[in-house]
Amino acid sequence: MTMAGREPEGAIANGAALAASLAAGIGAFGLGLVVFLNELGVFEVPALYGPAGGVTGRTAAGVVIWLVAWVVLHSRWKDRRMESSGVFGLSLLLIALGVVLTFPPVWRLF
Amino acid sequence: MDIPLFSYRSILTMLHGLGAGGGGLLALFAALFALLTMRTDGHPDATVERRSRNLRWLIVLAAVLVWGAVIGGTYIVFPPYRATPPEGLTDLTAYPRSLLTSNPETDWLHSFAMETKEHVPWIAAMLGTAAAFVATRYRSRILSDPTIHRMTSALLAICFALAAYAALLGTFVNKVAPLE
Repeated sequence: MTMAGREPEGAIANGAALAASLAAGIGAFGLGLVVFLNELGVFEVPALYGPAGGVTGRTAAGVVIWLVAWVVLHSRWKDRRMESSGVFGLSLLLIALGVVLTFPPVWRLF
Repeated sequence: MDIPLFSYRSILTMLHGLGAGGGGLLALFAALFALLTMRTDGHPDATVERRSRNLRWLIVLAAVLVWGAVIGGTYIVFPPYRATPPEGLTDLTAYPRSLLTSNPETDWLHSFAMETKEHVPWIAAMLGTAAAFVATRYRSRILSDPTIHRMTSALLAICFALAAYAALLGTFVNKVAPLE
């Protein structure tokens, strides 16, 4: 996750792409965590739209986490050339965790 | 007596599932296929520029359709699905969630399938948006830069897998307890 000292010929600033992918990972994990904690009864996210129920509040929270993370990461990384495998690997891990945390059988393990 | 071919609620379900969801899946698959087959190792030329422009619009369209399916599903189709029937009602056909949970053999279609469908598509929408952003910002580099190409392909592939999974579960739910 560091800036390259010397960029190879044709190298481009890939920070904006990495910011988008990591933000998506953070958003996925954030949504999964909100859903998981809500199902465990740690807290209850209020509904944003009553007829659709609590899912509207939970997903809105996930979207806010995603967008905030994206804005922060993009503003910091947009002009940088960065080593990609670590950041992208972390993005994939967060996406996988986020998906797992939204699975009902996982909630019932706790 | 006129019998309508489709009810208003079933038209909404079709717009959600077939229109936005199915269209999004088609666009995602086409974009992924194009991305994987049009990759180039050289410097972008006019042909690559033109192809990447078309591909960019396809990925943006896919993301828009996935968001349409997600928001329409949550805010338009889900409320009538989860509506509570009046006390004492025995025919639950008009109340899909109650119909599913009233039978132990179909309860999983709510407690697993629909509960999963409530959240996973939102993750797909985030990934599709990230891919659309990368395609828009990096233009022909999505075909010529190995890192950007790999990242966009992976985001689209996961987005497609999650959207397809949600669509499959939605098909099961709609088969047993359609919104009519």
